[in-house]
Amino acid sequence: MNKQKWILKAQELGIQEFEIYQNLSYEKEVTWFNGTMDKFETSKVLGTYIRGIIDGNMSNMYLEQVDDDNCDYILHQLINQISIINSKEKDTIRQAENIEPIKKDTQWLTPSMDDVYKIMEQLEKKTLEYDERVIQVAHESWNEAKETISITNSKGIDLVDEDQLQYLAMSVVVQQGQEIKDYTEIEILPDLSQFKMDEFISRTVDKALLKLNSKSYPSMTSPVIFTSDAMRSLFSSFMGLFSGDLIHKGLSCLKGKENTQIFSKDITIIDNPRNLDALCVRSFDDEGCPTSKKTLVDQGVFKLALQSTKSANRLGLESTGNGFRSGSDIAVQPLNCCIMPQDHSFEQMCEQMNEGLVIESVTGLHAGIDFVSTNFSLQASGYSIKNGKRNQSISLITVAGNFMELMNDVEMIGNDLDWKYHTIACPSIYFKKCAISGE
Amino acid sequence: MLEKNQLETLLSLCLDSKADFAEIFEEETTSESINLLNGIVEDVDLTNRKGIGIRIYCGCQSVYGYTNDLEMESLIEFTKSLKEAFGNEQKNCQITFKEETIENKHKIEINPFDVELKDKVKLLKKANRYAHCDARIFKVQCNLLSVCQHVQISNTKGKLVQDTRIRTRLPISVYAKENDKMQSGFEGPGASSGLEYFSDEFIKEKAREASRVALVNLEAKDCPSGKMPVIIDNGFGGVIFHEACGHALEASAVSKNQSVFANKLNTQIASSKVTAIDDGTIPNGWGSQNVDDEGNPQQKRVLIKDGILVSYMVDQLNGRRMNMESTGSSRRQSYKYEPTSRMSNTYIAAGDDDFEEMFEGIEKGLYAKKMGGGSVNPQTGEFNFAVNEGYLIENGKITYPVKGATLIGSGAEILMNIDRVGKNLARAQGMCGASSGNVPTDVGQPAIRVSSITVGGTCNE
Repeated sequence: MNKQKWILKAQELGIQEFEIYQNLSYEKEVTWFNGTMDKFETSKVLGTYIRGIIDGNMSNMYLEQVDDDNCDYILHQLINQISIINSKEKDTIRQAENIEPIKKDTQWLTPSMDDVYKIMEQLEKKTLEYDERVIQVAHESWNEAKETISITNSKGIDLVDEDQLQYLAMSVVVQQGQEIKDYTEIEILPDLSQFKMDEFISRTVDKALLKLNSKSYPSMTSPVIFTSDAMRSLFSSFMGLFSGDLIHKGLSCLKGKENTQIFSKDITIIDNPRNLDALCVRSFDDEGCPTSKKTLVDQGVFKLALQSTKSANRLGLESTGNGFRSGSDIAVQPLNCCIMPQDHSFEQMCEQMNEGLVIESVTGLHAGIDFVSTNFSLQASGYSIKNGKRNQSISLITVAGNFMELMNDVEMIGNDLDWKYHTIACPSIYFKKCAISGE
Repeated sequence: MLEKNQLETLLSLCLDSKADFAEIFEEETTSESINLLNGIVEDVDLTNRKGIGIRIYCGCQSVYGYTNDLEMESLIEFTKSLKEAFGNEQKNCQITFKEETIENKHKIEINPFDVELKDKVKLLKKANRYAHCDARIFKVQCNLLSVCQHVQISNTKGKLVQDTRIRTRLPISVYAKENDKMQSGFEGPGASSGLEYFSDEFIKEKAREASRVALVNLEAKDCPSGKMPVIIDNGFGGVIFHEACGHALEASAVSKNQSVFANKLNTQIASSKVTAIDDGTIPNGWGSQNVDDEGNPQQKRVLIKDGILVSYMVDQLNGRRMNMESTGSSRRQSYKYEPTSRMSNTYIAAGDDDFEEMFEGIEKGLYAKKMGGGSVNPQTGEFNFAVNEGYLIENGKITYPVKGATLIGSGAEILMNIDRVGKNLARAQGMCGASSGNVPTDVGQPAIRVSSITVGGTCNE
């Protein structure tokens, strides 16, 4: 693609601001099942996003086959799209600015496929031998991904960023009597030769085995501890509350709540795309805006919402560098956002709670979350706590409540924040009460 | 699309290995989304996707590659890198195509891509106007989504078939506010149809329905929890079957013994009142196709007959694993996904129970008039789904609306607990996500009664 040709042609046709975003990705996945390679998948895809502005109105296109000879036709289509938009708020494309680079020091060593197959074969075999209740390694995969993104626009932005990732995933199935449970674990592996297989197997299988002998739980209101994984799932589902776009549309209940107490004073929330403790770091967002560390909630007080250029323009604010691609458009999204941990160990929280429930996982998030009312009702599993210690595995229950009320009911916050491979992270949190449905 | 000689070159190259079968899926898709917020056109986005997916089998092993670098030289190199995964073996196979012409069962009257943008905006403005039917409604978001997917599927058995799939959908989200309370309602009608699907009356009905739900929920009280009988109404209520049973009948789960319904053919897995069907042939159905994504004709599949499991949904690769023929159930979101067995338009067939009679004898229960989405773990059979509009039943009568309810359970158990199946079969549209991506699916059922299911609410007495 001759990007300069497209930019000049766009301007010639009356598109006042024009931007090209490209994303070139290579991926490889190998899965192993029942003693043999099950699937080998590889891909190379180039995607091109263009967006243009006329009189403050912006429209987007995503193209997979870009032919410079078709430039005129495509741009006329874009102009036609723009002509229909009648939003009162005006959009802009960003200008080039100084971006402080981030030194990514992870060295990704790509293993040979022979080494991958050897590890996968051994991993499946050892996992099946680990405990007689392991009946299947339902999924075992090795994944490699490389991505290059570039942004070029008519206002001087010309940026490139690259990223890489390798990980191993395994799901084990365990059975005791008629009861079947499973557990999935993922490990990021820059160097496969450093893989600690025995540790990975015991971590994965032990968690699956602990789910066995589970019972439901009486329907009641109970003190609960959400583990860091369960808390991340719940918190991620309500991250949109902090989206400038949804605040502008009046769909986030945080509209007009700046500098007011919205959560317990124990809650501080930070978004930092430059946090090197997290797996994915970015020095600029998908609009070329520099990223930075921001405090969204400080000791329960709502301080700042996340913004893309578009949402910021509409609210008369500055972008926070949180405009990331979602489909053909840019959406406001967090990157490396966390609830800050405190000093309490998980065991201390269980002891303090004495009796109650630990929620280890919540599912059905795409349906059981009502973002508008901030109510949630989710399938959950975990275990009960008696005399401050683990007592009985629990499954087929729901946890339900209102997220805003729950976040005001914090009793203790744990010290176990772990980013793993996520872009949103939480420590375990002990809440005074939550509605449980079961028997 | 690639020419026959190019397909022959690539397919025979695939077989220059230990592979015994290869398939090429080509796709050219245009999608358009127009977004209207409170009567203002906020966004118009266009997507043009064009690429190729190459799949090679060696027994039950598969190699899949996809790319949108469509230069023939690049495709040859790409194909070589794929087939090497099985080890090279010179065979020089000749492919002779038997070109198939398929009858299009999903006739389109008004192709959305032939209509001016301003006329499509008029449609959205109608929906917006109808939805703003009460002062408490403060925000209405309407989208018009149009998709035209043209595919060509060829394989080493000589199959060469093309299909064009046109779909339109008009999701309407309505937000209502009263004092500090905010609630929403949603309707998402769609079909393998053109814009003729969205008649004035139809848009009015759907927009008003989304508004009605948002307003009802403003009045709703907290839902009680615990096990109780639940009446699930027709249409999107069919998500119960989709989650509790449908996914576990897909060959992708069954072939690897990862389903609670594996090895259960010809046994009773549901109440004798239940007959369940997956029908990919319904004319203009949202989840219909002429051919599946392996090029096999779509079929009407009776999955459960009077409670007895009679068929799974099978794709070619899992058919090999199960020693079964494909049932034309192979689907994928795009060339970027290897296809696998998926549902199309899945529903519980109409029964003969009266709706009013279902309420009799229920001391305390839930009437789930509108369902939201859900999810399932096919391995354990545990599922969940959300109730978007619910009412408490007390002593056989509906008493008041309740909010924030989820239904959970185990699929094997819940199917046996269906003790009433009504007459008012209806289908509704959704998007189903799984390993081969998001595909349009219809769910459906008449009103049914489940004698006992766990209701997750916030009100514990």
